[in-house]
Parts: sequence; structure tokens; C-alpha cells
Amino acid sequence: MTVSEIVHLYNRVGFGISAKKVQSLQGLSRVEFVSQLFEASQKVEPLTINLTELRNSLNGLNLKDRKKIRSLIKDSVKKVHELNIAWLYKLGTTEQLLREKMTLFWANHFVCHDKNILHFEQYNNTLRTHALGNFKEFVIAISKEASMIKYLNNKQNKKQKPNENFARELLELFTLGRDKEYTEKDIKEAARAFTGWNHDLRGNFRLRRFQHDYGQKTFLGKTGNFDGSDIIDIILQQKQCAQFICENIYRYFVNDKIDASCVSEMTDIFYKDYNIENLMRFVLTSDWFYDQKNIGTKIKSPVEFLIGMHRVVPMKFEKERELVYLQKLLGQHLLFPPNVAGWKGGRNWINPNTMMLRLRLPSVLLANGEIALDEKGEFEDDFQRFNNKQNRQRRLKVTPDWNAFYKNHKNITETQLQQSLLASPINKGTETYLEKLANQDLKETCIQLMSLPEYQLC
Amino acid sequence: MNRRDFIKQASLASTAMFLPKFVSGFNLIDSAVATGKKLVIIQLSGGNDGLNTVVPFRNDIYFEKRPSLAQQKSNLIGITDDIGFHESLIAHSDLYHNGELCVVNNVGYPNPNRSHFRATDIWHTASDANEYLQSGWVGRYLDVTKSKSLDAIEVDDTLSLLLKGEQTDGIATKNPKLFFRTTHAPYFKKVVQHHDDAHLSEHNLGYLYKTMVTASNSAKYLYETSKTYASKIEYPNNEFAKQLKQVAQFINSGLQTKVYYTSLGGFDTHANQVNKQKRLLKVYDEAIAAFIKDLKQQDSFKDTLIMTFSEFGRRVQQNAANGTDHGTANQVFLIGKQLKKAGFYNAMPNLSNLDENGDLKFDVDFRKIYASILNNWLDVDATKVMRSSFIDMKIV
Repeated sequence: MTVSEIVHLYNRVGFGISAKKVQSLQGLSRVEFVSQLFEASQKVEPLTINLTELRNSLNGLNLKDRKKIRSLIKDSVKKVHELNIAWLYKLGTTEQLLREKMTLFWANHFVCHDKNILHFEQYNNTLRTHALGNFKEFVIAISKEASMIKYLNNKQNKKQKPNENFARELLELFTLGRDKEYTEKDIKEAARAFTGWNHDLRGNFRLRRFQHDYGQKTFLGKTGNFDGSDIIDIILQQKQCAQFICENIYRYFVNDKIDASCVSEMTDIFYKDYNIENLMRFVLTSDWFYDQKNIGTKIKSPVEFLIGMHRVVPMKFEKERELVYLQKLLGQHLLFPPNVAGWKGGRNWINPNTMMLRLRLPSVLLANGEIALDEKGEFEDDFQRFNNKQNRQRRLKVTPDWNAFYKNHKNITETQLQQSLLASPINKGTETYLEKLANQDLKETCIQLMSLPEYQLC
Repeated sequence: MNRRDFIKQASLASTAMFLPKFVSGFNLIDSAVATGKKLVIIQLSGGNDGLNTVVPFRNDIYFEKRPSLAQQKSNLIGITDDIGFHESLIAHSDLYHNGELCVVNNVGYPNPNRSHFRATDIWHTASDANEYLQSGWVGRYLDVTKSKSLDAIEVDDTLSLLLKGEQTDGIATKNPKLFFRTTHAPYFKKVVQHHDDAHLSEHNLGYLYKTMVTASNSAKYLYETSKTYASKIEYPNNEFAKQLKQVAQFINSGLQTKVYYTSLGGFDTHANQVNKQKRLLKVYDEAIAAFIKDLKQQDSFKDTLIMTFSEFGRRVQQNAANGTDHGTANQVFLIGKQLKKAGFYNAMPNLSNLDENGDLKFDVDFRKIYASILNNWLDVDATKVMRSSFIDMKIV
């Protein structure tokens, strides 16, 4: 593979690649490369934070003790933020690039949020477990997750009074796509099949028999005493389901603009057995994945942007809260999606404010620059803090590890560094300007390259 | 060409003459945004308790449902025989008596959502309760009028959904000087100067460069224009007042921006509501007072419309913690010199006809207010922005 192809592959299935690693990997064939990626992602390494105390406090918990419950919720919400930070650091160091990137993809597909950290951590790891597995098992597992059951109101979905929220999003967002193949009537029937799907305090799935509708349903033209799994089975029999997932994968991993013939090839492969690994293997080894029109054309998500920098120059945030602010300012706070449809991505990441922030951030983070960084007015009554808020420039408390950078970039030229950092060709005028800056410290070059519009692309 | 068009074009020409050099060739002004009218949108975030803001102090149900929270007549500013304003709303009661305030009661939408985030999205996007739009109505206003980013400004560090369009997003800035300094850091400036326009394509890289140039030009324009005016009015010393002061500075300096948005948080009063709400409404009211004084002094109040909303009201029945939980419909305040209907637009909410949660059933769809403002104040076809038609309320 060429240098450009290697960088492209790592940009899409990971968060870029260091110039050093590009050198060490040259000479491998495409199939070898891709096999290596899958091998590295074979094992499932869950994302965990310390929840022992919270778990223990569930023993003998009196649900009527409102004060206790309130304080538990407060602790739990704090832990969700901790999980957010832990996830970012995991992304920054993981060797299981493909599995983690797929997990990010699925987290924006099966969109969910929960204040209950015990349930939400489990949810996150269910995404990770199935990220490269079988899509049918995946959908069933998601449907049985406590966090999802709460998020889309399946908890309130009872035989006596069905709630359609989950069924609607299952069809619209998770499997078939908006208004594809199904009708309002199908939603109602599907909702009946999921009645009584509930969970216990610890987040285990529980079927509440008395709330489940065992009666006959007619869904997508089929009639039977279906339960939720049967519904999922019938959905997956529709080729539209395979196509919908392939379109989303194509947009995320290949190009914002769909190429119908590529997606059709993907759909044929995926529809056979809904094996996600096989699908990804096909995509990553296909010729069109490496077409020039697909290289360096996707706008990085804020997480890809931040993690990409971190993987070149490791950063340590002294105040983790600042890392949370940064995600908010950039428009992607992991674990806190804007709504059930998730982040729209692509050009929606970019407006004049986020663009400026992105261009300034490398010097802010890596060269001790300043940034305006105030949090939006919170909903909760936080009057004191609100009044104390100052409109000031803040110096982020970040320590970049330049030693690690130099160690990884021994004997690397400016050109090599540029090849690994920028997948897109550089604007002519900008290039001329950059040439004038040549022959400086590699560290400066690195910050300058990261501060370009071109660096926003992968 | 009719008279109106002529005036538009004439004012266009004269404004253009005063544009600084750097914006020439950067067509900042277009006819759609040359009417001179400004809209200032204020959100009381967290869900302000409307029932304790505009109070039906002769309503028995109100006192029944709020044993410890109900406002006594003696605490209120009397407005009509049976309605009083919260004691903090001193400036608002003056505005009311001057015919510069319109209170639209019981504003909401079908199947209301009681989550802050979701309800805020619904108000920002002007969507139905079960519809997820990715653009705000102000953002779409920019799209439809082919306006520029700086035609809508959020006085904050991040941009809300409200100002995000399909093609154009507004700009967020709390401090134009800071904003300017960020965009004009030496390296950034060089890249803006040196990049090659000729090679900007419709692809993502071209889009990124164009956005960068927009940011840079807007920051410069905002800073250089707004610094020509310094307010002589004294504002209270808090963040919200500072934000309104900034808006006044933008407006009074002759900035072309049409829509401003800012918010005051903290209204989520689940517990010990009385003192919290009193403080917050005081902050809100006093800042508005200074803001209007500032505008009036420069004679720009007549061209400014202020709309205040909250993503939802609160439950009629108070809770056990001397607070209130998330509710539904709420009042909207419209402040301006050119209101077609000042005072109370409609009757107070009916407290004897509540929904199954014990919440108010709305009378006025919030999107009707938007539609009226778009049609009659911002001079744009509201159906194009709202994507469906809402009956014009003839309030502005």
C-alpha cells in the first residue's frame, strides 16, 4: 500500500497514524493490513470505571427513601462524566482501533443516554461487544438494555397501554430508515410485541409477563403471536434493513455522499448473514475504498479531531472538567447526544465558531495558548456560580508530552510528518506560505499543520 | 419598483457607503436584511414558573394548588383587577402601562415535552413534539433570506440550535474584542491572507476555507463596528446584564445584525422556589430596564422587538419541597414600541381544565408567534421558514 492509502485506512478505522508507524508498516499488502486490524480488535476489552460503591449501595436499598435516591442519582451523574473521560482516554491509547471506532459509530446509531451509570456503562460495553458481531444479535441485545428501555420509554410500554416510542425508533433509526417499508400500523403492532420488556434495578433484562401482550399481531404482512425478537427477525428479512445499515456505514467510513453501486455491493454481502465483520472486511479491502475521491474528504468529528491530536502529541488534562467543556464547545460531548437521532455529522460540525476553535485549539493545547471557555447557562439553579461567571480568557491546564512526540518522530522529515497528518491536498496559496516557514523545529511544524483547515479532514 | 423597494435599495446604498473597505466584495448587506428592524430573543432557561410571574391572585384553584407558594396580592404589582405581576417585574409593569409590553398567555404546543433539552430543541427548531429538526428557526431565517452568518448573533461562547441553519449558521460571541483577537492570531491571520480563493471548490475543503474566511471577516466587522459605540447607561453588575449591554452596543453601533439571542439560566426551581425566582426575575427585569433605556437614548428602541420565552412552564400543583416540577404552557413577553396589540393578548390560563399530568393545556401555539414576527417584523414569508403555515396573530 502507498503511504497515502495507509494514512487513509488508519484515519477511517482509527484516529490517524504516526509517521513512524507508517514507515514501519510499508511493504504489507492490503489484505495483510486489514487482517492485522481485525486481529488487533479480536478481543473485547470493556470500558470500566470504579462503581463498587454505587453497586454496593443497591443492596437493601429502600426505594421509598427519596433522600437516599436523590444522592445516589447525583453520584451516578458524576460517574457518567467520569465514564466520558475514561472513554476519551481509552480512545487515545487503544490498540483495538477498529473495534473502538465501530463502537463510536454504533453509539451514534443506537443513540442513548442514561443518568444511571450502572446501566449506562453496561450499555456502552454492549455496543463494544457486538460492534463487529452479528447485527441481529446486536439489535436484540440493545432492545433488552436497561438504558435503552428507559431512554425510549419501553418501560411504559404495557399491554394495557402500549407506548410506541421504542418501536418507532427501532424502525426509523435503527433498522429500516424513515418511512421505509413500514406503516403507522406496523409501528403499533411492533409496539405490542415489545410490551413488558423491562429491566430490574441492576440492569438485567426482565420480561414482565402480566404487561406483555401475547396476542396475535400482524407486522409487515406477517401474522403470528410475535414477541420482540420475532419482530426484529422480520425486520431483518427486509433487504432495506441491510441497505439502510450499509448506507450509514458508507457515510461514516467512506464518504458523506453515497455511491449507490458501492452500497449495493455492500448490501448484497451484508444481507447474507448480517455479519458486521465480514461487511467491514469487504469495505476495507475493496478498491473503491481507496479511490482518490474518498481520501481526505471527510470532516473529522470533534472526537476524531481531539483524539487524533492526542495520538500524535499525548496530552494530560489537569482538570478533566476542561476536557468536558472542550467537547461541548466543539459540539460533541460523548455520552450526551443531542437527541435520539444523534449527531448529524459532516458539515454540521462546522460553523464559524467551531471552525475558529478548531484552528486555534492546537496552539491552545500544545503551545499554551488561551481560549474563551465559559459554560452555557445551566438549567439547574446555580445562581452563585452563574453570577460569578466571568467572561475571561482561560489558560487550559494541559501538559503536552513533547518528549513522546520526539521519541516517535526520530529521523522523520517535515514532508513525512505532513503526509501522516494531512490526508487532503493543501490549498495552493497556503502551501506557498508554508514553504516559507520551512526548516524549523518539527514541533512547530506539527502545530502549524494541525492548525490548518486541511487538518480538519480525514 | 414600488416605494418600499425603493426605500430598501436607497438605504442599502447609503449603508454600503459607510462599510469599511475590508468588507467590499464581501457583500454583507442584502435587501432582505436592510429593513433596520431588530429582534432580540431571550430565553429564561430551566422553565420559569409563569403562574408565579403573571399571577391570577383572585383564582381559588391557584391558592388551593399552591398552599405555600401562592403569591399574595400584597406582594404583587397590581396590573388589572385580578392579575398581578411578580414583585420583581418593576420595569415590566412600566412597559405594560406604556403600551410597550404584550403578554401572550398560555403558549405551548400539542403533546408537550417536559425535558429541558428536548423542550428547548422544540422551541428552537419550531418543530412538532415528535419531530427532530436539525436546524433552528432563526438559522432557517438566515437561509431563506440568504443572509450572512453575522446577521444572527448569540451572545454566548457556543452556538445554540436556534441559530443553526441548513446552509448558514449564526455566530456566537460574548465579547467581540476577544472574538477578534482569536481570529487574528498571527498564524491564523496568515492562513486567511495567503489561501488561494481560486481553488476553493464545493467540496468539504472549500467549505472549511469559506467558513474560516467568514469567521475572520465577521469577527473583524463585529469588532470594528461595535467599538464605535460605548453605552452611557449603567447596567447591573451580572453576566446577563452584560450580555444585554453587549446587544445594545451591537444595535446602537449600527451593526447590520437582525437577530440576537441570549439566555438567563437557573429557573429550574424544584425546591425553595420563592427566593430563587425572585432573584432571577430581578436580574432579568433590571437588565431589561437598562437595556431599553440604552436603546431609547439612541432612538433604536422603536426598531427593536424583544421576545422572552421559557422552554416550559411549571406544574400548577406545587411539590413537597416548596418548589414546582416541569410543566407545559407558559407566557411569552413581547416588548417593543410598535406592538399591534399591547397589554394582554389573551385570557389567563384555565386552571380548572388541566391535562392528565395536572398541567396547563396551551391556547396559543408558539409557532404562531414566530410566524407573526417573521411576516410582520422581519419581512420574510414565514411559511418558508416554518415549513408549514401558522395563522398570523397580528401582534407586531
